[in-house]
Amino acid sequence: MRIPSFIYLYDSGKTESLNLNEISQYLKNIFKKSKIQIRDDIITCYLSNFFFKEREKVIDNLANQMTKIKVREIEIKNTVFEPLQGEIEYEKKRLSESGNKSFGILYDGFELMTILSKLIAKEESDFSYCHIVFTNQLFSTWDEGDLRYHARVSVYGFPSVISTTGIVEAPAKPREFYLKKQLWIDIYTLKEEFRGRFIDYDDLRMTEVMKGYVLQAIFYHITGNPFCKDKNCRLYNAHWQEEVIQAQLNKNSEYCKKHQKIIKQFGTENFKNEYI
Amino acid sequence: MEKKIFSAVGEKEVTRAIVNEFAKQFSEYVESDCLIIGAGPSGLMAGKELAKKKLKVLIVERNNYLGGGFWIGGYLMNKLTVRAPGQEVLSELNIPFEEVSKGLYVADGPHACSKLIAAACDAGVKFANMTVFDDVVLREGNRVVGAVVNWTPVEALPRQITCVDPVALESKIVVDATGHDATVVKKLEERGIVKTVGFGAMWVERSEDLVVEHTGEVHPGLVVCGMSVTTTYGLPRMGPTFGAMLLSGKKAAEIVLQKIK
Ligand SMILES: [Zn+2]
Repeated sequence: MRIPSFIYLYDSGKTESLNLNEISQYLKNIFKKSKIQIRDDIITCYLSNFFFKEREKVIDNLANQMTKIKVREIEIKNTVFEPLQGEIEYEKKRLSESGNKSFGILYDGFELMTILSKLIAKEESDFSYCHIVFTNQLFSTWDEGDLRYHARVSVYGFPSVISTTGIVEAPAKPREFYLKKQLWIDIYTLKEEFRGRFIDYDDLRMTEVMKGYVLQAIFYHITGNPFCKDKNCRLYNAHWQEEVIQAQLNKNSEYCKKHQKIIKQFGTENFKNEYI
Repeated sequence: MEKKIFSAVGEKEVTRAIVNEFAKQFSEYVESDCLIIGAGPSGLMAGKELAKKKLKVLIVERNNYLGGGFWIGGYLMNKLTVRAPGQEVLSELNIPFEEVSKGLYVADGPHACSKLIAAACDAGVKFANMTVFDDVVLREGNRVVGAVVNWTPVEALPRQITCVDPVALESKIVVDATGHDATVVKKLEERGIVKTVGFGAMWVERSEDLVVEHTGEVHPGLVVCGMSVTTTYGLPRMGPTFGAMLLSGKKAAEIVLQKIK
């Protein structure tokens, strides 16, 4: 376990409210000796390794893999379906457009991580490299507790994957939101009423919120534990939108005392794993 | 002498006019370029676009009326909403509409629906209403080349007296525009030819895009459009409003044109 020498942030395509320069600056202040680089979205990066002719084959192959990790039913653990031609076509189109978008389709988060891990170059595949992929794909993980899939903001690993769609859809909105939704109030009116109480698409607070998730990813990389129990710490694993807002946007206390101390040590020669 | 308003025509002439004209058209359209099942907004839109390009289009509709859900917006309230860029189609069809909030437009259901039907008729689409889709016609490689149909009332008859055989219609391509039921796709699934995904995993507001993006050929000779796309691909069900239906119909027409060229 050690601090990565290289931290790579992969763009999510067209998420205008996500400012990676600001996130990179935030990381530079913490990891003073790491090299931090912003890259294009991970698919585009990977495709740039291939000549035009090969690219089509690579996209075909990737599209096939993506269709197989779609979550078909929320209460059935993924069974492999033979994908329909139209699904493959949709993925091909999504993958071949830079800034590809993906709304409304749910993928298996860990399977997605597995697919993306194969896109990382061998020479960048050891622990001195930390890859953080932003995506607008919405993913979920299977919960053995209640035997269903739950949408997630992030899955941490190699690479860590953070979803800009997930931050909107995964943490639950206030309870009254769902009660009113059951009364058939349309989503636009509802969103207006609850504005500010949850992170929305193209939300101006997106960048600020994502700083905490990036930090969780790096904590996972270094320590194996991304989360903190303190609701006011950026490493808190929020399940409600209100918790996300409290943990990420409450500027009085960015981190709990313990994590503040560790983060300070990250930038110095004195960092030792015993702090963790 | 008493002055009459209408010309003197006997009952038999009226009957002959109906039977002969219907028979002539039906016989001509037993074979068409494109057979669309379902005369809702997406089916009408696809039909209109194709007929405008001089294709011979027949739309089969199980109801006596055309237009599907397009007469009524929702909750029995006859205002239709579309989100941008759906209003461009409204303009194109000369349907009056208003912008109620940024990117959200509203039109009168009856006005919009009648204009859409008229546009399809004007373009040259022919209809078989009160006609229900019963089965697909298949050729080599399980390619879809038509539909087996029957009169709608036959379906309502008690089983033991319903030995009324259906008839078959042939066409170069079939479009499933049957809405949530995805009747044509389901028939292929019953026969073990395709396996659909089932209903959507979750609800997301941006699902209109998905309907348009997944509109296309699902099996050789069969294109899906409109709400049947969501059933076929397991897309979120609750989002789509009428903009997606209209644009999906347009896209289906483009795909049909590519496929049969
Ligand atoms: Zn903490």
